[in-house]
Amino acid sequence: MNTTHLIGVFDSKSELLSGIEGVKNKNFTIDEIYTPYPVMEAIDALGRKSRFSTAAFIYGAAAVVGVLSFLYWTSVIDWPINYGGKPTNAFPSFIIITLVLTILTVTILSLFTFSVRARIYPGKKPFLPDERATDDKFIILFDKNTAGAGFEAISSALKASGASEVYEKEF
Amino acid sequence: MYKAEVRGPLILGNKDYHQITSDIIAPIDNKTPGWWKAAMGVSSIMAVIGIFSMVYTVRYGLGVWGVNNSVAWGWEIINFVWWIGIGHAGTAFSIFLLILRQKWRTSINRAAEAMTVFAVGCAAVFPAIHMGRVWLAFFIFPYPNTRGPLWVNFNSPLFWDFIAISAYLLISASFWYFGMVPDFASIRDRAKTKLKKGIYGFLSFGWTGSTKEWLRYEGLSYVLGGIAAVLVVSVHSIVSTDFASSVVPGWHTTLFPPYFVVGAIFSGFAMVMTLMIIIRKYYHLEDYVTDSHLNAIAKILVFISLIMGTAYTTEVFIAWYSGNPYEMFTFFHNRITGDYTFMFWAMIICNAIIPQVMWSKKVRSNITALFIISLIINVGMWYERFNIVITSLSKDYLPSAWTTYSPTLIEVGIFIGTIGLFTAGVLSFFRFLPMIAISEVKSVLKPTEITEKH
Repeated sequence: MNTTHLIGVFDSKSELLSGIEGVKNKNFTIDEIYTPYPVMEAIDALGRKSRFSTAAFIYGAAAVVGVLSFLYWTSVIDWPINYGGKPTNAFPSFIIITLVLTILTVTILSLFTFSVRARIYPGKKPFLPDERATDDKFIILFDKNTAGAGFEAISSALKASGASEVYEKEF
Repeated sequence: MYKAEVRGPLILGNKDYHQITSDIIAPIDNKTPGWWKAAMGVSSIMAVIGIFSMVYTVRYGLGVWGVNNSVAWGWEIINFVWWIGIGHAGTAFSIFLLILRQKWRTSINRAAEAMTVFAVGCAAVFPAIHMGRVWLAFFIFPYPNTRGPLWVNFNSPLFWDFIAISAYLLISASFWYFGMVPDFASIRDRAKTKLKKGIYGFLSFGWTGSTKEWLRYEGLSYVLGGIAAVLVVSVHSIVSTDFASSVVPGWHTTLFPPYFVVGAIFSGFAMVMTLMIIIRKYYHLEDYVTDSHLNAIAKILVFISLIMGTAYTTEVFIAWYSGNPYEMFTFFHNRITGDYTFMFWAMIICNAIIPQVMWSKKVRSNITALFIISLIINVGMWYERFNIVITSLSKDYLPSAWTTYSPTLIEVGIFIGTIGLFTAGVLSFFRFLPMIAISEVKSVLKPTEITEKH
């Protein structure tokens, strides 16, 4: 079912930030913010946090154990080869393969995690309230059901803090 | 507080965000220029020559090359190392400079990453056909097989190299692509035709620029940047172990890994300079790739050139200081003098001496001079690899096995072919993809520049 949304359009990052402050001071709840480039202050304002580095560390640790175990299994258990009496468990020469494959594993799994968490995948239809957000506008979106106040109050707060345009849209 | 203007503004011309999008997308929106078609035509002919030479090699065997029992690695390994070196610029630019918070990278990193992907692709061609029976190339993959199961030799630097190069190609390509996603969305939302909207819409993965996406995007780019920074050092160190872990005079030295890594970054940066000058000139992006950017690259090049000079001197010094007659012979009678004198001195002059002119600010601000020097450096780096690969192999411990090497037309053809494939790739990148990271450039636009406009 479609809901009415209020869209506040800003022309620059500094105006967007004063806009966020303006509506937050009045305890209105922002649904989402769309920006043409990453604005950390906007991400913080919505209280969003990412555990990406923790996930990457887990992938890395698992990859190190996995690759070393694989090398040990192939070289020592499955098919040991005698290279002039050298030890089959040649740990120093396993280091490079472990390092490179760990980086590769972390990269691939991080990309998948990104795709899953940010819901970004090939062929997805974009849900963009205002197409100018990927060009030059900074957009604040309010949902009628969750905004915490009437659209008129929010609209005047947005305009007071520098929004160049405020309009309603149903989607 | 002390405040100095170290670098000029990153973007000139008082741009606003919309202007940035329009300027960078313009080559995709506009009609294909005539010079592009001509350049693509030449590249395609070169690529066809290369493909013919490769097919000829596979059909008749490695006997069609000039390689022999002593010099078993000819132009193919020189070219392999040369291309991998050029392919180092992507990681060096986008990842090293990302974690060092160098904001001037934003105008250049996209092109450097593109170049990396095409250069590493070209490099991978050489070891594959050098195997002789290219249809058995999959034997190098460590998978449970019906040949024993016989595993590959995990202790061999050649296998490490295979792992390093494949991983590097995959990682650089994903880093490159993922960086372009927000820019694809910008193109999608401005596209006028349905076809264009469809294609770039598909490529943009449904990107909208919400905080939810940017948060993960930033997280991912720092994780990848942090972890892939190791690749700047590891890939070419591993390539150097192909040589250094042998007992061939001139190769068996601990200097090799840093020497290779620095050399790779040197040729990579030089190639980035060449490309950026072309982009600037032909796509009129002087406001994004400013004189200040080229100045910064030139300063890095002059510094690396000093390191290269030191490495060359150290090699010669250690050959003498070690008192090893074979090392002495290789350096003093087979490089500095001897059959390959020209290649040795070409390397010294192109890599260690000519770049020193960039100490002068006048040279650093002369675009033509920079363009010529960047080409000279890449020629010099090719000669460096020639020196390493050919001289050491041609005359080692056994004088009865001494020989000289010169390439056949087929080998030259394969090299020309990879240059054609590389330029064709780069040209397609110019034409169809955003050459400069739009969202990143927007983020470094000074806030004052925007507020002044309102």
